[in-house]
Amino acid sequence: MSKIIVGRYIPGNALIYKMDPRGKLLITILFIFTILLANNPISYGIITLFCFLAVFTTKLKVRVFWNGVKPLIGLIFFTALLQLFFMTGGKVYWQWWIFTLSSYGIVNAIYIFIRFTLIILISTVMTVTTMPLEIADAMEWLLKPLKIFKVPVDKIALVISIALRFVPTLFDETFKIMNAQRSRGADFNDGGLIKRAKAITPILVPLFIHSLETAIDLSTAMESRGYRGSQGRTKYRVLRWSKYDLLDLAYFILLVVLLLIFRNH
Amino acid sequence: MNTRKILQTDLQQMVFLGMVVAMKIILGQISFGPTIVKIGLGFVGSVLLGYLFGPLWGTIGGGISDLIASAIFGDQGGFFIGFTLTAMAGPLIYALFLYNKPVKIWRIIASTILVTIIVNIGMNTLWLHIMYGLNFNAALVQRLPKEMIMPWIQMIVIYFVLQAVSRVKIKK
Repeated sequence: MSKIIVGRYIPGNALIYKMDPRGKLLITILFIFTILLANNPISYGIITLFCFLAVFTTKLKVRVFWNGVKPLIGLIFFTALLQLFFMTGGKVYWQWWIFTLSSYGIVNAIYIFIRFTLIILISTVMTVTTMPLEIADAMEWLLKPLKIFKVPVDKIALVISIALRFVPTLFDETFKIMNAQRSRGADFNDGGLIKRAKAITPILVPLFIHSLETAIDLSTAMESRGYRGSQGRTKYRVLRWSKYDLLDLAYFILLVVLLLIFRNH
Repeated sequence: MNTRKILQTDLQQMVFLGMVVAMKIILGQISFGPTIVKIGLGFVGSVLLGYLFGPLWGTIGGGISDLIASAIFGDQGGFFIGFTLTAMAGPLIYALFLYNKPVKIWRIIASTILVTIIVNIGMNTLWLHIMYGLNFNAALVQRLPKEMIMPWIQMIVIYFVLQAVSRVKIKK
């Protein structure tokens, strides 16, 4: 079984923790698009600098970020290598069958490597400095404009909060079920394909029934507490913008302006 | 009697959707098989979403599952709207083939192949191309070997899972 950590949030009191999750989430999402603006060494330098600035403001240990990149480092290298030999153009140094090593390919492979690393780092900054509940609230806020298209945003918000709340509970339940089945001889890591595929049902069916029962119980409980749909309700957990959010806004605007100036047009 | 009849009210449906989304997130974290071909179980969640909730809510549930998974575990590819669309497309295709229909082997084979081609090979490669500027062909070469093996294993798992889940419906 893969190592499982519920939540990657690491408490801290750096400035970035005081920022509104909505701002942070927006900038994380937009950061990926701003990377697309970079197309020459200077612009890549600028965006790398800004990314490390964000990493630095969390005041967390380097190891936290290394752990974010580590599981993917092999994949990143492999991808960059593959790109290296498939890109053609510029000066050709070496050629064999369909593989070409060209100057264009080398530059591109380096860019791809940087992009991968930056995107992972910035996402890590987001998830490490913000509690899952806050991220979920921010997502709910971001989905609000979809109301114009008659998307049932209120219902989606309900589903989000229930799912978020029950992920840890179901996690525990899954392990209990697996251990219970194991104690009576079930083997989840042995045998041929069909045997393994079959071995999933003794986990899945109890989990499914448990979810079904929880759903019925929970909805009964909600109705008895006076829940009659999402409309006409107040909010207890409210997100508030603060003066710190001007900082991440300034960070982002400065980044975009610098990139627009220094990229090749 | 089936699951949709047990869940009489709209609220029950929504709460159950939340639970299945949570299940999909957990299954997505579990993988089995030898190290060379690790098979994540996230697709089982997509199948359940499509099979139980149909095209509309299955698709929405898929999107939500991607959002929450990235909120809790940190999205491995970074927050990118494309992968949310991917997570929505899977349940949609499964729903079109399996929702309100008897469990048939051809439905499972067709839906899995479509999901593999459209979602895993097509869309995901496209997102990698957009996000990281990968050469499309090279990205395909990297992806193809895995996607040639996966669907067959997935079909077997889906068959057993749907058999089991439809049994749950009858018993309740």
